[in-house]
Amino acid sequence: MPANSGSRSRLPFRLGLTAGALATGALFAMVFAPTFGRKSESEDINIFFHGFQDSRGVTVLSPTVDLTKDFTDRTSLKAKFGVDAISASSDSCARCHPDGIRSARAVASATLNRKYGDTTVGIGGEFSQENFYRATTLSTSVSRNLNKGNTTIAGGYAFSLNQPVLHPSEFTERQYAHDAYASVTQTLTKTTVVQVGVEVAQIRGYQTSPFLRAALNGVLVPGNSPDLRNRYTFSARIKQALPASTYLDIDYRRYHDSWQLDSNSFGIGLSRHFGDTIVASGAVRLYDQTGAYFYAPSYTGSPLYYTGDFRLFPFNSDLVTGRVVYTPKDGLFGMRPGSALTLQYERYWTTRSFDAAIFTGGITIPFGRKAP
Amino acid sequence: MPSSDRANPSRRAVFAVCLLAAVSGACASVQPWQRARLADPCMTFEANAALTAYASHWQESREGSSGGAGVQGGGCACK
Amino acid sequence: MKQKFRLLIFVLAALRLAAPPAFAAEKASRPSPAPDFSLKDAAGQVHTLAEFKGRVLVVDFWASWCGPCKTSFPALDALQEEFQGEGLQVLAINVDENAKDAHAFLAGRTPSLTVLFDSKGKSPLDFKVEGMPSSFLIDREGNLRFQHMGFNAKSKAEFRQQISLLLKEGSPHAQQ
Repeated sequence: MPANSGSRSRLPFRLGLTAGALATGALFAMVFAPTFGRKSESEDINIFFHGFQDSRGVTVLSPTVDLTKDFTDRTSLKAKFGVDAISASSDSCARCHPDGIRSARAVASATLNRKYGDTTVGIGGEFSQENFYRATTLSTSVSRNLNKGNTTIAGGYAFSLNQPVLHPSEFTERQYAHDAYASVTQTLTKTTVVQVGVEVAQIRGYQTSPFLRAALNGVLVPGNSPDLRNRYTFSARIKQALPASTYLDIDYRRYHDSWQLDSNSFGIGLSRHFGDTIVASGAVRLYDQTGAYFYAPSYTGSPLYYTGDFRLFPFNSDLVTGRVVYTPKDGLFGMRPGSALTLQYERYWTTRSFDAAIFTGGITIPFGRKAP
Repeated sequence: MPSSDRANPSRRAVFAVCLLAAVSGACASVQPWQRARLADPCMTFEANAALTAYASHWQESREGSSGGAGVQGGGCACK
Repeated sequence: MKQKFRLLIFVLAALRLAAPPAFAAEKASRPSPAPDFSLKDAAGQVHTLAEFKGRVLVVDFWASWCGPCKTSFPALDALQEEFQGEGLQVLAINVDENAKDAHAFLAGRTPSLTVLFDSKGKSPLDFKVEGMPSSFLIDREGNLRFQHMGFNAKSKAEFRQQISLLLKEGSPHAQQ
């Protein structure tokens, strides 16, 4: 059901333009934010740079700026700007663009939170735009602290309208996603916190990747996926404070969907303080998934559904993360005390013979007027 | 156990969350002045939110599953 | 049966979410006698509530690990200096379980207020402390009058106003 054929302008994102807008936004936030603020523990700006490089020759550079700002004691704003600058080409692009191709994605989001006693209500929106894909999300959330802060119950709902363009044609398709979650966070002891959550999502509409091709009767063709996907996620996390300023973090996520794709994700990490200024962390994540029920390495005859989308193939992956956060006592590079430098390096391996290295560097700067 | 449960594991998960919410008040409560370790940023689930958001983003574009990141809470009871 | 049990659990969960707030009031609605305490200061000298009778008291519960306490502690110290002559006494009760952490916080500070130590956490239990930091304003008669939880930009002005009010009540000058 192709909708709005050709009605949408192509919006070829120029990397320089987007990066310029990002820098202007960050500058604006840094210059003006401190002048109308109130002192708070949480008011800060995060400027991060992510680099992602994988064994298919794809490099993604992603600067992001996150801002948390308190307008009153009860009302706060979280805003985010980010860019993914994609260079070199993946297998699917290389078919038509053997010399490589550049692409970019820009994302902006804002969430307004307001406290009513022990209850916090949030409302937010996110918009992302890239070549051949646009996503618009509206979200609401509510959380409540109970038992002197020992229990937090939270829930939320989000609606997304996603609009993929069926490149190389100009047809725009539509996809509607409803997403609801609920979680409980419980302090068990003076050193233990657990959190369990469920998330249910329903996606309707066009869900086939226009770029990834399936082998149908020996010919590579765009896939055809069902128009309905129901997704269920259960997650559980535990944080345990150990002796010697060390903290243990274990998480498990179980996922199932109506395409019969099941996955398990298990993570374990340790963080340790070294003096007052350094927190070093290491973590491992083990992931496995089955393929969607209509997945096959190649198809013959005239199947109803077929896919060349690697995300729907069965595979396992391992992720190893190392991170250092440095918060010098007198502030970073002459900035305010509390400003911090974060460096992170990750390696990702999959059984699809696809590996990646991910680097992140960033600074966090607190702001806000000091209480009189 | 009814077969509908096996067909839909999420029901059991929703049940587990509701059960925890219902009985949470019965847990031995940690007093506000006993939260020295709990107040550490390492004990909050939202620590390093910018990194978590980026990780979810790249993982969801390379793996078939998603979700589980939209949860919050915990940490210091400081007001 | 199983369905009903599930419904019950669901309703219980919903009720917990909708329950009225456990604490909302900033002020103690009716004057009631403040709980007594017997705590040591840094020099090892024991202090009790009774010895401060006739003065206006601010009893503040703080800990080295509590973020807002880094702001409230110097603010209360400044109030102690400001109203010292008029009969104000600020008692900053440290509730760190590890006294070493408290001493690290106090190193390099010479506060005018009086720091007391309660690593066992008996006095915050008696005062029914619900969050950190918590402060209680006690009048010259030994009654709880005002209560603060948390510390923000407006807090110091509120403290000053309430302290002034209590200092005027039944002050030695007013009685004569």
